[in-house]
Amino acid sequence: MVHIKNHKALIEASRAVLVVMIALVIGFVITALVSKEPVRAYAALLTGPLPKVSFAHGVEITNLNRFGNWLEESTTLILLGLAVSLVFGARQFSLGAEGQLLLGALAAAAVAVKMPAPFPLHLLLALGAAGIVGFLWGLIPGLLKAYLAVDEIVCTLMLNVIALQLFDLVLLNWLRDPGASFLGTASFPASVVPPLLIPGTRVSWMLIVMVAAVLGVWFLMARTPFGYALKMVGANRKFAEYGGINARRVIALSMAVSGILAGLAGAHLSLGLLKRLTVSLAPGLGFEGVVVALLARNDPRGVLVTGLFYGYLRTGAQIMERSSDVTREVVLIIQAVIILLVTAERLFPSFQQWRRTRSDGGAIAIDRGLGG
Amino acid sequence: MSLEVVLQSIFSAAFIATVIRVSTPLILAGLGGLLSELGGVLNIALEGVMLAAAFTGVIVSGLAPQWLPGAPAWLYAGLGALAGVSVGMAMGWLIAFCHLELKTDLILTGLAMNILAAGGTVFVLFALTGDKGSTASLASARLPAVQLPFVNHVSFIGTLLNGANGAGYHIMSYMALLLVLAIWLFLYHMPAGAHLRATGEAADAAQSAGIDIRQVRYRALVASSFCAALGGLYLSMGYLSLFQANMTAGRGFIALAVVYLGNRNPAGVLLAALIFGAASALGAQVGTLAIPPQLVEMIPPVVTIAALILYSIRRRARRAAAARGFQEQAAAGWSADAARITDAALDGDPQSTAPGTSPSKSGIVEGTNKIQKGR
Amino acid sequence: MPARVAMQQISKIYPNGVVANHKVDFAVEKGEIHALVGENGAGKSTLMKLLYGLEQPTHGAIFLEGRRVEIANPQRAIHLGIGMVHQNFMLAPSFTIAENVVLGNEPRKGRLVDHKRAIAITAALSAKFGLQVDPTARIEATPVGMRQRAEILKTLFRGADLLILDEPTAVLTPQETDELFWAVRNLVDQGKTVIFITHKLGEVKEIADRVTVMRHGEVAGRVATREVTEADLARMMVGRAVLLSSYARPAVRGKVVAAVHNLGCIDETGRPVLRNVTFAVHAGEILGVAGVEGNGQSELVEVMAGLRAVATGEIRINGKAVQGASVREMRANGVAHIPEDRLANGVALDASIAENLVVDRYHRPPFTRYGVLWPRSVRQHATALMQQFDIRGAGPGASLRSLSGGNQQKVVAAREFSAAPVLLIAAQPTRGVDIGATEFVHGQLLAKRNAGAAVLLVSADLSEVLRLADRIVVMVKGEIAGILENGPQLTEETLGVYMLGRNRPTP
Repeated sequence: MVHIKNHKALIEASRAVLVVMIALVIGFVITALVSKEPVRAYAALLTGPLPKVSFAHGVEITNLNRFGNWLEESTTLILLGLAVSLVFGARQFSLGAEGQLLLGALAAAAVAVKMPAPFPLHLLLALGAAGIVGFLWGLIPGLLKAYLAVDEIVCTLMLNVIALQLFDLVLLNWLRDPGASFLGTASFPASVVPPLLIPGTRVSWMLIVMVAAVLGVWFLMARTPFGYALKMVGANRKFAEYGGINARRVIALSMAVSGILAGLAGAHLSLGLLKRLTVSLAPGLGFEGVVVALLARNDPRGVLVTGLFYGYLRTGAQIMERSSDVTREVVLIIQAVIILLVTAERLFPSFQQWRRTRSDGGAIAIDRGLGG
Repeated sequence: MSLEVVLQSIFSAAFIATVIRVSTPLILAGLGGLLSELGGVLNIALEGVMLAAAFTGVIVSGLAPQWLPGAPAWLYAGLGALAGVSVGMAMGWLIAFCHLELKTDLILTGLAMNILAAGGTVFVLFALTGDKGSTASLASARLPAVQLPFVNHVSFIGTLLNGANGAGYHIMSYMALLLVLAIWLFLYHMPAGAHLRATGEAADAAQSAGIDIRQVRYRALVASSFCAALGGLYLSMGYLSLFQANMTAGRGFIALAVVYLGNRNPAGVLLAALIFGAASALGAQVGTLAIPPQLVEMIPPVVTIAALILYSIRRRARRAAAARGFQEQAAAGWSADAARITDAALDGDPQSTAPGTSPSKSGIVEGTNKIQKGR
Repeated sequence: MPARVAMQQISKIYPNGVVANHKVDFAVEKGEIHALVGENGAGKSTLMKLLYGLEQPTHGAIFLEGRRVEIANPQRAIHLGIGMVHQNFMLAPSFTIAENVVLGNEPRKGRLVDHKRAIAITAALSAKFGLQVDPTARIEATPVGMRQRAEILKTLFRGADLLILDEPTAVLTPQETDELFWAVRNLVDQGKTVIFITHKLGEVKEIADRVTVMRHGEVAGRVATREVTEADLARMMVGRAVLLSSYARPAVRGKVVAAVHNLGCIDETGRPVLRNVTFAVHAGEILGVAGVEGNGQSELVEVMAGLRAVATGEIRINGKAVQGASVREMRANGVAHIPEDRLANGVALDASIAENLVVDRYHRPPFTRYGVLWPRSVRQHATALMQQFDIRGAGPGASLRSLSGGNQQKVVAAREFSAAPVLLIAAQPTRGVDIGATEFVHGQLLAKRNAGAAVLLVSADLSEVLRLADRIVVMVKGEIAGILENGPQLTEETLGVYMLGRNRPTP
């Protein structure tokens, strides 16, 4: 039976690869429509993030910063992908990662600026603050959905709007450095900036935090009773309740735990990448987690792979933009195509027909009603 | 500036005019959201449709003079609007096609469309103008404002009916009001409107009544996108006269909240959009006071969530009250009832074997049926 | 004169290989009431789906008044004068009855709906056919009987002269059933033809002129009702003599395991669904619960399983008051539960067999130790149960969706029977199950009883209750109409009298 399971996983993986290939081809066609040198542009997209190794004068590695960009980008995306995979796994359509990310970044910045402490402690406090704020901001829609049946889509979208305003409010009124020439905090003290792993890049200890998060979520889902309960609630909530699982608690917690991960993604943005906080921080990034989780079919190990892939694509797109006449937004088009292909059951029937209850409940009820 | 001055400005005709200006795209997109929600196919891509339409309108109206030199200016604006609406409706159709034919998840398809619009507009923008930020370099047309005659010389009324500068409200503002009425008429007094609502509420019932629910859903999504496209056109060809990257700034998502805050009917959508618009306009006003504008901007989303919570609590309270009533009735009446059952049964009167249920005799059976349907 | 409907040599094979109909011949004469009976899964609903255009036959032909027709969809069926009243009403809850009746075919005034005429049309139809409704009432605020009449009016408005009624009495009270029968006769008097799907033989005798009996997807017989007895029909339905009602019972009834006192509860809309329910289930006893479906049995099961809140009264398991306890607490107290709608509530189709088998026990050792879930234990547990209960699948890791329906049912049974319950609640345990599996489930229930468990058996199948139960509770309108000792002297007729609420409770 292990054999069968692996076989299935293989099919799933090859389907994911196929989807990505099709999307890339479509992306190329679109690039070719607007670019004078589409091949060069696409080559930059697909190979840009790789470091260049030259053997002319001994071993020399150049373009390491591009490689670093890839890992930095992927760290954020993987954390967001993990966040989304948890709520999607419980079949909750929470779109709140964006707001949780913003407030996580804000909380980390607040600790960085307002609570001086020695090095490892300061960083841990900042990460903790980001995680807790993300947790709480996820708990709100979680509780409202679980106990009051408030629609999570509208609720989280509204909470995103509130978070955005809260972000500006706190940043501009309490954290802003009045001496700075721009709207933002002062540079963070060294005690709160995660140390670098690869010199010459911004790849820091946050990479390790990210890998730990992947392992943690995998363990949570595969090896804890909570993970089992979450999976069953996602598979069939009525069944879970019938079996004695407290589905409400699971739903509330899934959204809250998801918030921790989104909050950490925010901390990575502010502590690891920017090293200060400014207004208009990465709008729309929260939705990027959706494509990562979708392509990985909510499996945390898959999130690691798809997050790296998607980070690669985004980094490559930035390089392409700098070195050719095509903007990086072509990646968004590729992303949209991936989402459509992944969810198109007709094209790829064995991709799980997930969230069917929501979109197609009526038809199923008919089948069952006349099933005699 | 004192509070008094701010209050004065709030209760002025000019403020009301501003609210209408700010609310117009929300009303239009909200109506779009309403049509899709009532049809049971919530259009989460309002944001993307607005963005794509705003972009297309500007580009086409800006490039039209090159294609058709010497034509009157209104023709360029008209062509832009037509193109914007067409692109918006095409997106609606594409969502419907993916969802209904390829069986993609509706919400995720909508998200994909939003991403596609966000990426696609900037991509094409850069390809055409070499600028990623806006179409400032392109002289695009505006859609006209409609100035009401004869009222400008009356101070308050003039401002109220024709806006602060007396030039009149944008044609899309009138369009929005017109659509509120038209959609109300459509939903509650036209056969196709009834079919739309029936499809959203009980698709199996609609289908068994011979309604082609697939077609209804296609139309709901296309019509929904039509409304959202008008909202997008207003942004780039009225509110401003250029396209900026991500210029919708979440209005499409606010529009979804407007649908729910507006209790899923056209008049409610109008009211909810005005509330959001007022908060936004107010946020701009209070900046001069010590009140941070962000606090004011938070009011509508907070109100929306509060409304959702209140609705849920009210439902629960009704049930709790029913339970209490039932308990009291049980405590007071069961012993007596039990005796009566026996007596009645002995008398052979089947009608009175259900004491205490007189308000709804078949309540038990009916309730059960509901539960079964819900499964 | 050719038959109103003639379906000839109809076969329906679904893509998954299930043969729902096999060479079925079915004919209905104009102006008759024709009953179509058979057990659940006998293929009667499928046959009617074919007639109504919801499905297409794999083989065979359909003739209407001698003309061969293809019925591609319900619209076509409606056009041909066929109307179907589904078991799950097809009505929009927020619409009024008049709006529902004319839906899809609204009277117009210009381009607008003529609401007044819609009401007038509905009222006129209502008067003509004696189907009493309030045209302006919203569906969600009307009782179920009126909804059904609205549903019938809907088909009449569309010009149906052949009406298919799919188990119309399943949700009706006896009075409402009487009213329905009266209305059906009235319809026939006015020239309509009615196909009446049911599995209640008493109704067949009462209402139908002729009857077609189906069994395992085939026609088992077609007779005039006045020429046969209910027992004849029963034999045709099950293909053998009606089940023996007697099983060896233990001499002594054990102590009280579950005691329910003055239990009451309300549904989601605040209506009472259970009131003043008092009974006890003893160790080593099967307590049967009989009644017309929708008289509170489902709610009783949900309350006992911890799935539904209790409004009044108490439940004691082994003397411990447990009303208001969660499902998990109930299960911890030894309650196991085979749910009524097993495929909707009893399994997660996209989860694995192993995962499905531990939903009630995953949080306990050996599955969870030190807060960690051990997949190996979960798998081993599944392997053992699959062997013990003969669940045929690719292995513990295979998804439940990949199993056949019967094996999916076995997964539920395996889990609940292996839970070592002190109280086993079995709701319609053999519904949708073939004869062989029925015997298996019955055997397991008896084995549990003989091992000293208390069993609460809720079934709409009277023969099943009579066969297995030691005592029988009859429920009417959420109340107990009687508690009867089972024995040779107790017949379906006696039970039926109680089920109609016409008898007084036993002292």
